[in-house]
Amino acid sequence: MSVIDILTRVDAICKKYDKYDVEKQKDLNVTGDDAFARLYAAVEADLESALQKAESVSKEKNKASAVALNAEVRRTKARLLEEVPKLQRLAVKKVKGLSGEELAARNDLVLALPDRIQAIPDGSAPAAKQSGGWAASASRTEIKFDSDGRFDDEYFQQTEESSGFRQEFEMRKIKQDQGLDVISEGLDTLKNMASDMNEELDRQVPLMDEIDTKVDKAAADLKNTNVRLKDTVNQLRSSRNFCIDIILLCIILGIAAYLYNVLKK
Amino acid sequence: MASSDPNKLMAKADKLTKLSLTRWSADWKSATQLYEQAAIGYRVAKNHEKAKIAFEKASKGQEMLSSPWDAAKHMESAAALAKEVGNWTEVADFYKRASELYIVCGRPQPASDALAKGARALEDAVPDEAIQLYTEACSILEEDDKEQMAFDLYRAATCVYIKLEKYTDAATFLLRWGLAADKCSATNSQCKAYLSAIIVYLYAHDFKQAEKCYNDCSQIDVFLRNDHGRCASKLLSAYSEGDIEEIKRLGQSSTISNLDHVIIRLARKLPTGEVCALKTEAAEEQEEPLDENDLT
Repeated sequence: MSVIDILTRVDAICKKYDKYDVEKQKDLNVTGDDAFARLYAAVEADLESALQKAESVSKEKNKASAVALNAEVRRTKARLLEEVPKLQRLAVKKVKGLSGEELAARNDLVLALPDRIQAIPDGSAPAAKQSGGWAASASRTEIKFDSDGRFDDEYFQQTEESSGFRQEFEMRKIKQDQGLDVISEGLDTLKNMASDMNEELDRQVPLMDEIDTKVDKAAADLKNTNVRLKDTVNQLRSSRNFCIDIILLCIILGIAAYLYNVLKK
Repeated sequence: MASSDPNKLMAKADKLTKLSLTRWSADWKSATQLYEQAAIGYRVAKNHEKAKIAFEKASKGQEMLSSPWDAAKHMESAAALAKEVGNWTEVADFYKRASELYIVCGRPQPASDALAKGARALEDAVPDEAIQLYTEACSILEEDDKEQMAFDLYRAATCVYIKLEKYTDAATFLLRWGLAADKCSATNSQCKAYLSAIIVYLYAHDFKQAEKCYNDCSQIDVFLRNDHGRCASKLLSAYSEGDIEEIKRLGQSSTISNLDHVIIRLARKLPTGEVCALKTEAAEEQEEPLDENDLT
């Protein structure tokens, strides 16, 4: 990188970070009380940045970024033009510490602003160039048409082939349009059905929540009941088992006694 | 027990409830049971009149037993039977009473359901009463913030209005529907309601009203940007230009075909022959200011 490049880069970076330069800000803020001066300073700063952007456009190689930058410049210009009437109003106001001459000077400054704003190049300045429209390509001296505007020559008549081709093209276009119409109607119906379904689902959401709570409550009740039932059944069973045990015992004793009697005899 | 004669059951129940020297307080519990059985018996025997009376008494019994839910249910059955009999005033009364009992239970949804059932039953016979019931049902739901449920009711009420050819009322009701839809952010229904209202006004040859309606509704962003809003504006401009073909074409378009079928019928009939009159009227209005200018 050459020295010149470094210098330009340093300049740009300094400008960018000027806002952090406390001393410089203090100087600018001296005019803080004066609304006009503030606004004017702001407009000046915007003008400067717009000019810079316009300059960088001319250096741009990429068309897309050039177009984008141009659009930005145009937008800034429009905005600044809007601010001018405000400035005019403020310029007429009397501020303390300001002499009559300075007031007049301010007015002149404001009047000069619109011209300066318009002068910023934004890629659309040469308006006269576009007045010719498409057919005026003949106005450019580098490109030449052989015919010089005579289009009735036999050379240019439509052959059968080309007219047939054109007809087919038109017919296909019409068919495509019809098909697209059918599709669009189908999509309309789908859209309608989808919105209705949407609303229906919205309607059912609170109902589902209610069902949820109720079912939860019912499940808890059931669980409770089940546990109690289980306890009761267990109790019952155990007492029943106990009775069965006793009965069986009695039967066995009875059988044992009978056998004892039989054996004794 | 169900096999025993319902008449006997009724007689027994009546005896239990009638106060006399020997009986100082009515035994509503057993009486209600008997009434219910009798009512079911009568219904099976297709004796609508007696079944209705039995259900009425059963409902009263349940009220006395302070169970408004059962009372309301019996009232509804009584009302359904009254419909079979064809006694329309009783139908309306019973359904209203049932709805009140439901509200006492604190359940607005069944209340409005009862009124809706009543309205549906009365649609053919006494449409004015039906409309009143529908309106009441809608207000019950709206008080309870359940506007979504009310959409069906609004639709049915609008159908009844249009059948009665009360077009301004129908349009007002449609606008009310739009309001309810707005509260629960149902934008599709809202826009459909507004478009339907405009169509109803146009059908009633009331072009000024339709325009006013459209202007009011365009305050609402959603309607303005929506398909329905665009269709409405196209319709109104076609009317003001007197373009019958355009109106017919719009009537066939898919936006209108998505509305309620009653409205679609109106829309298809739309260019109701007065379009040319509108055009000349507009032209006349324009001529008058010119005359004034000439005089001055």
